Amino acid sequence: MPRTENDIAIVSYAQSPLLRRSENTETEMMLSTVQGAIKAAGLGKGDIGFTVSGSCDYLSGRGFSFVANVDAYGAYPPINESHVEMDGSFAMYEAFVRLLQGDIDTAVAAGVGKTSNSDPATLYTIEMDPYYLTPLGADVASLSALQYRALLDSGKVTERDVAEVVARNRRAAKDNLNAQVSGDFDVDELLAAPYVRNPLRRHDLPPVTDGCAAVVLARGQKAYELCERPVWITGIDHRIEPHLPTMRQDLTSSVSTRLAAEGAGVASGPVEVAEIHAPFSFQELIVREALGLGDDTEINPSGGALAANPVMVTGLLRVIEAAKQIAENGRSRTLAHTTSGPCLQQNLVCILEGDQ
Amino acid sequence: MTDTSIADPSNDMEPFNLQFPFTRTLGNTLSTFFSAVAQGQLIGVKVGGRVIAPPLEYDPETGADAGSEWVKVGPRGTVSAWTYVPEPTHLHPVQGPFAFAFVTLDGADTPMIHVVEAPEDQLRSGLRVEARFKEGDEVNGRIDDFVFVPATDPSPSEGAGEPYQAPAEPEIQTMDAYCDLTYVDNAAPVTRVWTQALLEGKLVGRTCPQCGRTFVGAVSLCCVDAIELDESTQSEMPQTGVVTNFTVITPVPYPGQKETEPFVRCSVMLDGTDAVLGQQTIVGIPASEVRVGMHVALEWEPEGQRDVSEIGNGGHGSTGGAVVGWKPTGEPDEPAENYVDRMM
Repeated sequence: MPRTENDIAIVSYAQSPLLRRSENTETEMMLSTVQGAIKAAGLGKGDIGFTVSGSCDYLSGRGFSFVANVDAYGAYPPINESHVEMDGSFAMYEAFVRLLQGDIDTAVAAGVGKTSNSDPATLYTIEMDPYYLTPLGADVASLSALQYRALLDSGKVTERDVAEVVARNRRAAKDNLNAQVSGDFDVDELLAAPYVRNPLRRHDLPPVTDGCAAVVLARGQKAYELCERPVWITGIDHRIEPHLPTMRQDLTSSVSTRLAAEGAGVASGPVEVAEIHAPFSFQELIVREALGLGDDTEINPSGGALAANPVMVTGLLRVIEAAKQIAENGRSRTLAHTTSGPCLQQNLVCILEGDQ
Repeated sequence: MTDTSIADPSNDMEPFNLQFPFTRTLGNTLSTFFSAVAQGQLIGVKVGGRVIAPPLEYDPETGADAGSEWVKVGPRGTVSAWTYVPEPTHLHPVQGPFAFAFVTLDGADTPMIHVVEAPEDQLRSGLRVEARFKEGDEVNGRIDDFVFVPATDPSPSEGAGEPYQAPAEPEIQTMDAYCDLTYVDNAAPVTRVWTQALLEGKLVGRTCPQCGRTFVGAVSLCCVDAIELDESTQSEMPQTGVVTNFTVITPVPYPGQKETEPFVRCSVMLDGTDAVLGQQTIVGIPASEVRVGMHVALEWEPEGQRDVSEIGNGGHGSTGGAVVGWKPTGEPDEPAENYVDRMM
């Protein structure tokens, strides 16, 4: 299909090492990653029309980290900059929309998270409903466990199915140099592990990871000038459900993922590879069903969020991994999915395509 | 960039406890609910043909105003999903092992997420539970005024589904909330270099090879050119300079306050460089006599008494407790207009 000036592509990407604990600050992780992505596109900092990053100061516990991070863009002379308190994939969505305005032809989107400074068992209570959930200390693992329990009670999946998700992701992660958690694991041994939040076991939870990722987007002809094989974003959609998990009709199916998949046009062609953002193992099965993927779609060759989970970055890493399949592995149509909020509250789906 | 290095735990800084109290206003729906809770009564709101409990201000299906058709629900209900918390954190409302569960109260059509105090082996979908309310001084009119326990009598709750007559002026109008999170950051390599230099009575800076600007403090990059400044760009800085800007701060009371009298924070441009240190202390002169253009020299705390423990990664040119402050040298002032672009 011929591309037009309204088509937008990923032309380069970069990621920092994904570490249990980096000795660097968010800004330092951003500097090498963002400038690395810009350089990989053959550009300099002054060539970028729009920059947007996704991060959350509550992760590092350092107020105005998101402002300090602007230093990584070299913001003098002043730049056109934005920020989302969400994963970098949502920042990429903003950059995509910004490029559609047609007055600029390049943008950078990044995500960064210094997660290791905080305690995930307590931190995420403050993202819950402040009247009904935060005072109960409702933590994200507990809420995910309730969703997992509902999924088991529905009879759709078994704990063995979920253990197989863990084993498959960890096995796939052996080929991912950035994976924190990888290897061959026996499903029976996984099932013998104790519960941390019944029915969640330790291996159903994502690791704590520090890291950063960035993509450079370009519009129309500019994409061909900057790389040999642009990765075109041919569909992207983001849907949100009520923040109280109890107000959703059925926690075992993801309506927002299904609608985002429809909006992104997932079903209009075969999907060779899907990178699913499922921070809790069982969520991959819910998302996979909602995306309507068949058995011929390869899921998470990177190992997914169970292999490395830099919060605010994990979703953008799914985009980068799905883009790599096109730019480096000769695939022609892949999918990236990102989630945010408790129990798959928000879901973004994007379809990536290479030229035939 | 050195970010391939995994942090050494010995570089962890002191834990930082982020605490702040705040008071939330509740609005009519939440005021009505929490005022009922304070009386030991659970209620929902009837909207779109179903009862939502606890009530919301809007119908989540349509976004429409949920109105105020209050309905009594509970105190008994049925568990539909559960998980078990074997080791509670300080943010959980009970100190021993407990369950979180979806509990659909009698008379309600939607579940609520709440605490169930029961042994793990008793938990199952379909378990009948009942609310146990706090009493006396412990009642605050909050969601944690009650927990659920296995129901001694599983029969349907009396009065559930009946209309609830709300008071014209609900008693509970606000909710006190408290944020209490603990962080452990690690000193970045450049922060360690900066604090070590301070302990040795030195100021160090890094000069950008591209634009020539010098940055003093825990700074590892040029924010103009967006390039890393490694130790090869580092040199020792002079300890005299000129005040380029200042403000006089009159303290207002706050917890942990050290300063009580008006004090000066100023920017100092180091002699022979274009490096400016911000947020510096002036000593040896009344606040009213501080001037832009004034020559100052750094006065260190005695060796062995220099405290750098409060210098974090974001401090840039912070000198912490390593110095007493900058003292006027008595030399004639420089013209203030020379420094209008070097405020910070």
